[in-house]
Amino acid sequence: MNNSQGPIARKNGLVVQEVPDEVLVYDLETNKAHCLNQSAAMIWRSCDGKNSVSEIAKLVEEQAGGKVTEDFVWLAIDQLSENNLLEQQIAANFAGQSRREVIKKIGLASMVAIPVIASLVAPQSALAAQSCNCNNPGQCNTPPNAQCLSTTNCNGVGICAP
Amino acid sequence: MSENGLISHTALGFEFILESYGVRVGIKASSRELLNKAEQTATKALLGKLEIIDFAEVDHSFSIFEDPAGTIFLDLNGERITNDSVEQRFFRFFDSFLRITIAEHARGRVFIHAGVVGWRDKAVVIPANSFRGKTTVVAELVRNGAEYYSDEYAILDSDGLVHAFPRDLTMRYFDGEVRERAVAPQSVGGKIGSKPIPIGMVLLTEYAENAVWNPQKLTVGQGIIEMIPHTIPRRFNTEFSLKVLNRAVSDAIILKSPRGEAADFAIEILNFFDNYLNLARIT
Repeated sequence: MNNSQGPIARKNGLVVQEVPDEVLVYDLETNKAHCLNQSAAMIWRSCDGKNSVSEIAKLVEEQAGGKVTEDFVWLAIDQLSENNLLEQQIAANFAGQSRREVIKKIGLASMVAIPVIASLVAPQSALAAQSCNCNNPGQCNTPPNAQCLSTTNCNGVGICAP
Repeated sequence: MSENGLISHTALGFEFILESYGVRVGIKASSRELLNKAEQTATKALLGKLEIIDFAEVDHSFSIFEDPAGTIFLDLNGERITNDSVEQRFFRFFDSFLRITIAEHARGRVFIHAGVVGWRDKAVVIPANSFRGKTTVVAELVRNGAEYYSDEYAILDSDGLVHAFPRDLTMRYFDGEVRERAVAPQSVGGKIGSKPIPIGMVLLTEYAENAVWNPQKLTVGQGIIEMIPHTIPRRFNTEFSLKVLNRAVSDAIILKSPRGEAADFAIEILNFFDNYLNLARIT
């Protein structure tokens, strides 16, 4: 991608909830929950396909009231892309620097909080996620039941445990 | 039974329909005896918070069938869930499965897999998976004067208030194999909470040997994503679940850290929460 093409925020298959200073996104396809801090959320909302990276930087700068570089925007786009929150995967353009180097550079220079996306995968099955009850050992060997005391034994009283 | 192993519905001559938390569940069985056991199990599983209704279109349909060899089968909506030749173990599983089915599809409620106690009219919610010491902590909190709400579910209404689901505490012990016994909350000196209360504190914690409670305070968003894996209807009612979670924890303090022994931890937490509530009242 170059600066004349704008990233597009994904909308389908997502449930979005605004919370104070953050945005929660639940991906129905992957059962992944994301928490976007204010900077990441502002950038995500600006990804309408029309705004280029430099334009997004300006928009965020106006909203956040502090200097925002293109690296700053790329840092968010990199995470948005990695978490499948954009219509198309986009490789970050860090001009030869690593993500860590960019974070360090931005962190020192920026008054605006670095864009951060925290993510967590939720088990698909509610039953398996919260119960170690079983009728046969096969039920203990399914991935979500790996949290139980045993993944191979359904004991005499029906618990995945010794 | 049909060729594909599923129950032939003509063989299921016994049936009842229950409604619990707005979910209508039909239960069919191949004998009166199995049906009676299913009804007793359902009543116990849902702490009597169900109504047997005469006729209705059901949201979910369970079928329970015993073959001539004595194996009991459980189907849900025509799909095989499990089978077992040990009746007690079969119904123990059915108990759990039915409760989660209701929790997953409840109307106007969000079930969080969590231990809950009440302290000074606020709920302390401890979301966690099984075998992470949730019940032990709840029991210790209750022993130290907290009101017992549940060792299994925080049931949130649309305003985010927590309702009690005060089943007996399920204490685990080892007796050649891991077993469970039900302990009445009153037997640990506890009082059962009854009124819906707002969440004051969320503890994201698990027991770890030699761990020191050194909590990190999470933001509302961070806290909610940690709670989502324990939120039962997250797949079927995602939007409502997120809204309710947001309302429920927006004024709560959310702390995350491993913890040590439950007895010491419970005292520390209640003292901390007291100080926090006093400070919140002043400011």
